[in-house]
Amino acid sequence: MKAFGMIAEKLPEQEFKFPKKKDTEELLNSLYNEYPDLKELDFSLAVNQQLIQQNTSLDGNEEIALLPPFSGG
Amino acid sequence: MNRFSRQTILPDFGEGGQEKLSRARVLVVGAGGLGSPVLLHLAAAGVGTLGIVDGDVISESNLNRQTLFGHQHTGKPKATTAAEILKQKYPDLNFEVFSDFLNTNNALEIISSFDVIVDGTDNFGTRYLVNDACVLLNKPLVMGAIYKYEGQLMIFNFGDVALNYRDIYPNPPGENQIPNCAETGVLGVLPGIIGTLQASEVLKILSGVGKVLSEKILFFNLKNTSFYEVAIQPNPRGRENLPKSEKDFKNRNYNINCGIAEGINWEKALDWTLNMNNSILLDIREPGEKPFFEKEYLSKKPMGEIRNNPESLSAYENILLFCASGQRSSQLAKELKQQFPEKKIFSVEGGILDPASPLNSNEYDT
Repeated sequence: MKAFGMIAEKLPEQEFKFPKKKDTEELLNSLYNEYPDLKELDFSLAVNQQLIQQNTSLDGNEEIALLPPFSGG
Repeated sequence: MNRFSRQTILPDFGEGGQEKLSRARVLVVGAGGLGSPVLLHLAAAGVGTLGIVDGDVISESNLNRQTLFGHQHTGKPKATTAAEILKQKYPDLNFEVFSDFLNTNNALEIISSFDVIVDGTDNFGTRYLVNDACVLLNKPLVMGAIYKYEGQLMIFNFGDVALNYRDIYPNPPGENQIPNCAETGVLGVLPGIIGTLQASEVLKILSGVGKVLSEKILFFNLKNTSFYEVAIQPNPRGRENLPKSEKDFKNRNYNINCGIAEGINWEKALDWTLNMNNSILLDIREPGEKPFFEKEYLSKKPMGEIRNNPESLSAYENILLFCASGQRSSQLAKELKQQFPEKKIFSVEGGILDPASPLNSNEYDT
């Protein structure tokens, strides 16, 4: 897992391993359980550097990125 | 040898590339941390016409990152000052200045006359506004954004598949996630890096040299000097949220996403009051609240009176509200913003009690 911006601040590490989940929905639910602060934030999800728009199945070897929008300029 | 000889001798860029730059019209929205390097590099490269949009004035605390400006420029409007500085360096270039923030009334008209748009704004509202306007007008948009030690770079409406910001983020984030409502720290070099990348992508779009970073979002992390690229695709859920027509666009309110009232610090509040037309700095405490102040730069109007008759403020463009601690002014700013979505309405953070307040007094009677 890789986290960016404000998301990384809610997690213990910017990069970390997470137990295998069957799909991205299950993955998000366990992340929310473990790190409830994440629920307040909007972010997009990428699997192997591809942005996903719907629930995507996982085999446990993927690199998942949690990508919040940035507003500063 | 001329000013551009070191780039025209690049075989693939050549005199042809230079010609394209000199004929081009590029609009830079936001002359701040990102806008500074964008403008410096596009002007140095010889982009013929640069449009500059910014309604803000330069503050001392801008100078760590807004490298176009120096101490002598504080208190001056950003857009005109940027144009003056660049015109002095490169008298042959043209500058078009828009000393106002972009809004639904002026955006389409301003954007439509330019070839490429650069977004270097500092808030989600304007980012969505610029994005939606560029989709409607089919203009290439080079967007950069920063957060603390990280940056993002995206190029929209360009290439085989025209993508836009809503393909990545269909809706503006909720009000609790908007760091701009409070001040966020940033190491000045970060927007320097992201803005320079934006300028580089603009030059590639205009000259046709290289491969433009389209259909991707690029993340940069300054602390570990790493880049991360993610491929993006059209997102039907995001596209549903785009305005359907120019009329639809003009009827939208892009200010509302900052649900908590926008805060402004004392330094900026005073800058605005003293240097911008149609600005008012308002003490909204009730009559009798101590301490009393008589300063020529501030006006008094109690909160209750403003609520009963908000129209009494309609002549002002920039309305800066303060109270004792910033709480009441924040509430009132939110209410007034509903009433006057096009006006700039801020609550002065920390109010009179703020250590930076020029009104801060030890005799303050709570």
